[in-house]
Amino acid sequence: MRRIFLLFCVMLTVFTADRLLTASGAKASQSLPLAETSYVLGDSVETYAAFMMSGGPPPDGIPSIDRPRFRDADRADLRPDDIVMGFHHNGEARAYPQKVMVWHEIVNDRVGGLNVAITYCPLTATAQGFKRGDTTLGVSGQLLNSNVVLFDRESGSRFSQIAAVGLDGRHRGRTLDEVNVVWTTWERWRAAFPETLVLSDETGHLRNYERDPYGSYTPRSGYYSQAGTIFPLMHSSDRHHEKEMVVGARTSDRSVYFVLSDLARARVQSTASFVAVYDPGLDAGHLYLRGDEDPEVLPRGNGMYELGGQVYAASDLPLTSAISVEAFFFAWYSFYPESEFVDEGGVAPGESVRGDLGR
Amino acid sequence: MTGSRRSALSRLTTLLRVRFYRRVSIGVAGVYMLLFMVALRDVSRGGTGIRFLTADWRRMFERTGAFTFEPIAQLVLPGVTVLLSPGNLLVGMVVAVLVGLNLAVTVLAFREPAACRFNRSAGVLASLPALLAGSACCAPVIVLLLGLQLSAVLVSAFQVLIPASVILLLITLKLVLDRTDVERIEVEGEAFPSGDIRGSGTSNATL
Repeated sequence: MRRIFLLFCVMLTVFTADRLLTASGAKASQSLPLAETSYVLGDSVETYAAFMMSGGPPPDGIPSIDRPRFRDADRADLRPDDIVMGFHHNGEARAYPQKVMVWHEIVNDRVGGLNVAITYCPLTATAQGFKRGDTTLGVSGQLLNSNVVLFDRESGSRFSQIAAVGLDGRHRGRTLDEVNVVWTTWERWRAAFPETLVLSDETGHLRNYERDPYGSYTPRSGYYSQAGTIFPLMHSSDRHHEKEMVVGARTSDRSVYFVLSDLARARVQSTASFVAVYDPGLDAGHLYLRGDEDPEVLPRGNGMYELGGQVYAASDLPLTSAISVEAFFFAWYSFYPESEFVDEGGVAPGESVRGDLGR
Repeated sequence: MTGSRRSALSRLTTLLRVRFYRRVSIGVAGVYMLLFMVALRDVSRGGTGIRFLTADWRRMFERTGAFTFEPIAQLVLPGVTVLLSPGNLLVGMVVAVLVGLNLAVTVLAFREPAACRFNRSAGVLASLPALLAGSACCAPVIVLLLGLQLSAVLVSAFQVLIPASVILLLITLKLVLDRTDVERIEVEGEAFPSGDIRGSGTSNATL
């Protein structure tokens, strides 16, 4: 009888522990929303984790903005050609000035009822947004392919920004749930979203927001236009200038990039799996999956496009859209060397381009 | 060697009793402090109007780099912005004082070759690493300026530039002082009376 009681106690303990662990796991997965399907990876997570290296600062040494303040568009201290990262959701629009983001790299925000982390890496010129649930993301101080490595403050897991994949900890191998962020100018963003709010430079931290430590985008100078990179890369190519702006996308099994300046001239470009259209209003690219059909997208006036006899805005084509990420060419290639690309209107593969970038 | 019978600290004290060397130390330390703040981007171009801003004082303990800290006050002047970080000021003062002392001894070596037998540029060279320690978010400023590519080893090396500078400065100061015969410093044409120098306006080293 005593043995049966002891066995019962052991079973009850195991059952209770299992329930508790399952519950904590469920809670954790709710804290940081993760994508159901992963993006294709250029290399294994193990290889990424091994290649990750310190950029210098300790975790949170580059402080994220966790209590962002905003101003009305009329009170924004921005010039028309200042770069902003734009995000809109549920009728709310936000502009995150590059001159503020360069010092903080992450804003943990809530837009249209959605908790998001807007992230920016100055070294790779990538602005990407991720759903964050109830947790916040921070800057780990580590770099992978010169690109910022984020960390989830709840689990401690580190994530590559561009690959959006967990590199270690509880979320290793899992993919962040990404949202579209647009890299454009203040003038263009405001024209598209007149009611937008603008991230204030009252960040809770003190910085000289008038100075970009890397260079300038108006016009492009310093690191942003120089040939060469600072940190080691897993893959590199001389197909384009390292700092050429490309717009890329990835699905579960393939990736693609389009050279933005080429896309702006052609307005519509296609690869085997993707079609890209240029949005002249925002000077941005919108990428779609071609699917089994071969959609014939035709450019029309006023930045509109015709598909199947109907006219649509660049962002509203009735195709499966992909998250579009603008990046320096070297950065996209270092993560996705197998990307599809359009070999026209630019530099032929293998041809070297060096020197400062004037665009 | 007379100097070997006295401690380095004692020789330093003796040297600083001479107003000229004291002024050299303070002046060099002040200039170095300014350079250090520029290197760390605590002093930078850009700014409109005149404003004084403050942040939560507890941020002063938050690190932005291996040996750099968050500012808690900001002075904006037309064309210049100054960030005040107690941690950076403390680190900068330690390095600046050591640089000032090194330079004072170096000046002594140039002015009084008979009093010092050591590589005269050692102290100056030792002061350089800390000036390279400034970083711009993810990358050292010097790397950005020169367009260099970093390896993991170099990144680690940049993390220890400030302590490396302090250690080098202490070593060079000690080495130079150990080889310095302060009694041979001439004051108004007479040999230094060991341990009997006052910082009065009448004590001036001669060339």
